[in-house]
Order: sequence, then structure tokens, then C-alpha cells
Amino acid sequence: MQCSKGLALLAASALAIVAGAQEARDYYKIGVVCELSGDTVTGGNVCKRGYDLWAQEVNAQGGIKVGSKKYKVQLFYGDSQSNPSTGAAAAERLITQEHVDFMFGPYTSGCAIAVGPVVEKYKVPIINGSAESPNVWLQHFKYSFGAIPPVNFTGAMAIQTLAKLEPKPKTAVVFGSNDTFSKATATAFNAECEKQGIKVFKFNIVPEGQDLTPLLSAMKGLRPDIIAFGGHDEELINLVKDLRQIDYTPKAVLMHYGVTEPAFVDALKGDANQVFGGAVWDEATKTSSKILWKDSQAYATAAKKAFGVPADYTQAGCSVSGIIFQEAVAKLNAAPPLNEATREKLIPVLEGLDLQTFYGRIKFATEGDFYHANVGISPLTVQIQNGVVKTVGPAAVAEAKAQYPMTPWSQR
Amino acid sequence: MELLPQALIDGIMLGAIYINIAIAFSLVYGVLHIIDFAVGEWIMLGAFTGYHLTLLTHVEPFLLLPIIFVIFAGLGLLLQPLIQRVLSGHKGNPTLMALVFTFGLALMVRGLAQTFFGFYSHSIPSRFSAGSFFFQRGSFFVTISSVRLLGLVYAVVLTLLLNLMLRKTDFGLAIRALAMQKEAAGLMGVNATRTNRWLFAIYVGVTAMTGVLIGVILSVASKMGPENSILAFFVVVLAGMGYLAGVPAAAFLLGIIQSIFLVYLDPGYTMMAVFGILYLILLVSPTGMFRRGM
Repeated sequence: MQCSKGLALLAASALAIVAGAQEARDYYKIGVVCELSGDTVTGGNVCKRGYDLWAQEVNAQGGIKVGSKKYKVQLFYGDSQSNPSTGAAAAERLITQEHVDFMFGPYTSGCAIAVGPVVEKYKVPIINGSAESPNVWLQHFKYSFGAIPPVNFTGAMAIQTLAKLEPKPKTAVVFGSNDTFSKATATAFNAECEKQGIKVFKFNIVPEGQDLTPLLSAMKGLRPDIIAFGGHDEELINLVKDLRQIDYTPKAVLMHYGVTEPAFVDALKGDANQVFGGAVWDEATKTSSKILWKDSQAYATAAKKAFGVPADYTQAGCSVSGIIFQEAVAKLNAAPPLNEATREKLIPVLEGLDLQTFYGRIKFATEGDFYHANVGISPLTVQIQNGVVKTVGPAAVAEAKAQYPMTPWSQR
Repeated sequence: MELLPQALIDGIMLGAIYINIAIAFSLVYGVLHIIDFAVGEWIMLGAFTGYHLTLLTHVEPFLLLPIIFVIFAGLGLLLQPLIQRVLSGHKGNPTLMALVFTFGLALMVRGLAQTFFGFYSHSIPSRFSAGSFFFQRGSFFVTISSVRLLGLVYAVVLTLLLNLMLRKTDFGLAIRALAMQKEAAGLMGVNATRTNRWLFAIYVGVTAMTGVLIGVILSVASKMGPENSILAFFVVVLAGMGYLAGVPAAAFLLGIIQSIFLVYLDPGYTMMAVFGILYLILLVSPTGMFRRGM
């Protein structure tokens, strides 16, 4: 009896030692929670492209230079299945079983908010390459950072651009799909419309994926100048098709997020033209950097070569998340594997970063409503013109004049 | 008040789409007692097939419907014996096992579609997408989209054809006999195996054609299956499971409730209203709104 007790104690001690000992390796393990299936699979895969492109590029250069040595990166993906609780479980598995050094975040804000407490618990920093809802930053998660500014920056800019066009839009209807990001987008549109003196006839949050034809047909009678919608790819395509089917052309259609995805133009062809959207980057954005890609054009070329389609700002935001990580570990001189103490030290390093990247400036807020969001970058208003995304606002960075008001469907 | 005619018309147009989604599903449940969780995936596959065929041939997608039907009916003919084998099992609960089988099939098809078709959304181009009819009388106005009107016509024709098949053909007689009393029908000379197989083939073919319609009116995506499955289940349960004649009424009711909520009330409560009405009806009449379900 005593002998078996002793053996059991010995076995338990051995297991504890094995569990506690850190694996020795010469590469960084980065966990990525992403929507690889489910309703937001499109956005999730756009994010994956961004993260993969960074990993591919940095490994092609031999890895991240820390001290005198270079360390490659390996990405470990967890599928959130477009479900926040599944995303949280995936994050936990990546941290506790894969023992990742760092995390990159999901496409959706709902998932990012669910993953936040998990990374806080295990003290693993995460950079969200997407996730634009301001609610993500209101949580004040110490270990969460974001490469893209919140949508109340981006959405407000788009309405400001429209408000300056002639004839000045006077009325609007604003809708948002019922998910964290889309609601925040619609709220941002609504708030800025009121600020700009644009009367909002109707502001509604609608069920995800709902056929909006009855609502749009009713709005046709009111003839709003602007139709502004917060949603995701499929919903945006359906909305433009609905407007076409009921033959209603407002002065402007503004939608976010999905206008900058190649599938939007591919699906709608000529009907995509003159639709406005929000962004924080496009391939014509004037940037200059010494890290990985020297400017926007270099990144856009690399992305097109890798995936055959133009990159959009979400993909770019995910790639720049990798750049942020590599600069932080290089600055801290933190070689893999990263233990808890090292990861803790990364937080002030990340907070102190001020980078010029192909994407633009990276500078995280350290207090207030945008805590740990990137406030270094300026939002843009874009418009599809002849099948290509063009920046049309603000005036200082516009590469093309906004085409406004929209050409009626029957005349296209 | 001025918006009411438009709201009702849009509700009917929505309902037409739901009829197309649910009608064959109701038929196959009524006879074969198969709860096919993959109904939405047949729609998705039909939509993608229609999309790629349209791109390849540059033919109007509605003219490709017969080809879609033949392809997917063929698929249904191949698949039905597998489902029948599960349903005919003597161990466990065969009906539950068939449900699990179709659920697994749905997951597999969805995953394969994402792998082979990708994750982007698409649209099936059609010359009918652009037109609409506009009527105005005083302050009342109505816009009817051509393609959605076509969807309504398609739903009516489909319902009539299926009814005609059931009422006026020997095959239909066999189907009705099997639905009423399977053993007795067999004793009367109905070949249940062959009838079931062809019925399932028709169901898959018809459902896939609906995918093309949805791809023209809305969009095509590998993720579109589950929401269409939910709609199919909703309409069929509301109508009464297996009660074909109830499907149009249930579908129109669903469409009109959604439309009224979108136009007059808070769209955020649309789903709550729709499911609330379903629960109320089922509380009063568990076999569907016409009390004719199984």
C-alpha cells in the first residue's frame, strides 16, 4: 500500500515537472483565432490571408531578428466557426495546449470581445488585425491591442465626406445588421449624420441576413439621399441587388464592411460602381516604411502575387499585426519561447511603439475609450469607380473625385 | 397606410421564395419520413451549379433549370438508397439515425463547398434582375421587382405541378398510398423502393433549382445552407409536417409577418415575432396551422 502510494507520488511529480518545464524551441508560436467557417467565413479568411502573408514574408527573410539570431514564426489556427464562445474555447486551447507565445485576433468584434478575457487570464498578448467595434476597447483589456481604429472613426469620416458633396445630402436612412460590429457601424453613421445636420428618417438594427426588400421599398417613398448600412459581405451584395430590383437609386449608398473586398465588385459588376465605403488603407495610400514592405504598393503587389486578388484593409491590418509583434519582440530582445514574465514585459513595449509601416502609423492609445486601439492611422472614404476601389476622402489624400449623385440604375 | 399594399406585396414575394425552399421538403417528409438537414445544402449546391453553368454558357440561368434538375435528381437517385438503408435499420431509432445521417451529410457538403467553391459570395446574373413594375394611385404606390415576380410565378407553377403529379398520375397515386399506409400500399402492388427513390430524386432536383432562383434574387455563398434549412423547417412545421397544401399559406404568412415588422415595427423583433407566432400556433395546434400535419 505504502509502495503504491509512493509510486503514485513519484509519477505525479514527474508529470508536474514535465508540464512545468518549457519546451525549448527556436521559433515563435503564434496562435490565431479566426472565422474559418460559419457566417463570417469570408472576413475570417481575409484575415487569415493577412496573417499568412506576413508569416510567409518574415520567414522568407530568415525570421525575426532578435539580438544576433533570427527566429522564424509558425502560425497555429483555431476556428471560431463565427461563434464567440467557440472562439474563446479555441483561444484557450491554443494557449493551454499549443503553448503559443502570442496571439493574433479574429475578424469579428464579437469574437474579439470573447477572446479578450481568455488572453487576460493566461497573460498572452493579442493583436486584433480586424475587430472595429468600439466595444472591444471599452473593455480595457490589458493584453489586447488592435491594428485597426474603431469604426466610430472610420464611419464618421465617410459621412463627413458625403456631407461635403454637392448637392449636399439632407436625409438618410441608416441600418445595421444585428452583430457587434455592424451595430457599432450603424450607430457611428447615425451619430455623424446628426452631427452633420443630415436628417435620419429611419435608424434600425435588422436581423442578420434578413431580406431587406420590404424595408427598402418602404424607404423608396421617402426618397432618402443616403442609404447607409453596416453589415458584412453577403448582406452588402444583397442590399445593392435589392435596390436594383426595386429600381431605387439614392444619391449615395454607403456600406461598411465589404465594399473593399474583391468579391463585392465581382458579384455586382457594374452595379458596384459609385458605392461608397469606409477604409483605413488602400494600395494607393502614401506610406513609407523600412519594415518588410516599403510602402502600400509593395504590399499590394505581394498580396496580389500570393492570392491572385487585390488586398483590402482588413487583410493589410492583419499583416501589420505581425509587423507590430516582430518589432515588439525585437525591441524587448525576447527570443522564443516567451514565458509569462516576458509576455508581461511586452505590454509596455507595445504601448510605447510608434511605427511607420506600409499600412501607416501604428501608435496605440494608452487610456480612454480607445485604450490599446491604433489611433495613429487616419480613416479614408472610398468609392468603387469602374470596378476599382478609389480613395475619395478626406480631400487631402483623395486620389479621385467622388462620383455623386449615383447614376440611376436604368441609365447604367 | 400608404405603405400597406407595398408591405403586403413584398411579404408575398418573400413567401414565394419560402414556398420554393420548403415545398419539396414537405413532400419528402410526408412520404419518406426523412427529416433532411441537408435541405439548405442542396439549395447551396444548386446555386453554385447554376452560377458556374451561367458563367460557362452565358445562358439565362432560368433556362438552365432543367439541367440543374436532371443533375441533382441524379444525385438524389444515388443518395436515397443510403438514407433508406439507415431508415430501414432495426437497431436503435432509425428515424433519429436518418436525421443524424443527413446532419452529417450537411456538414460534409458545407465543408467541401467551402474548400472547392471558396468563401466569397457571388451573384447569378440574369436579364430579369434589373426590371420592375411601378404602380401608383394617389398616395399609394407599389413596386414589383421582375425577378421576384418570376419567383412567385415559379412557386405557383411548382406547387401546381407537384399537386398535379400527386393527384393525376399513377406515380402520385403511389406516393399518396405510401404516405397513407405503407404496408397496405405494398400489398396493393406499389413498389415502395422505386417510388421512394424517384420521389427523393425529385425533391433534390426541385430544391437545387430553388438555389438558382435564390442566387439570382439574392446571392450565392458556401455558408448559405443553414439559414435556408431553418426557413424550410419553419415553413414545414408551421404548415404541418407532411401537409403539402399548407406550405403556401405558411410561407406567405411568414413572409408577410416579416414584411410588416420591417416596415411598421422594429425590424429587430422580426425573428422574435415570427417564432412567437410559430410557438403560439403550435401550442394551440401541435400538428400545424391547419391541424393536418403528422
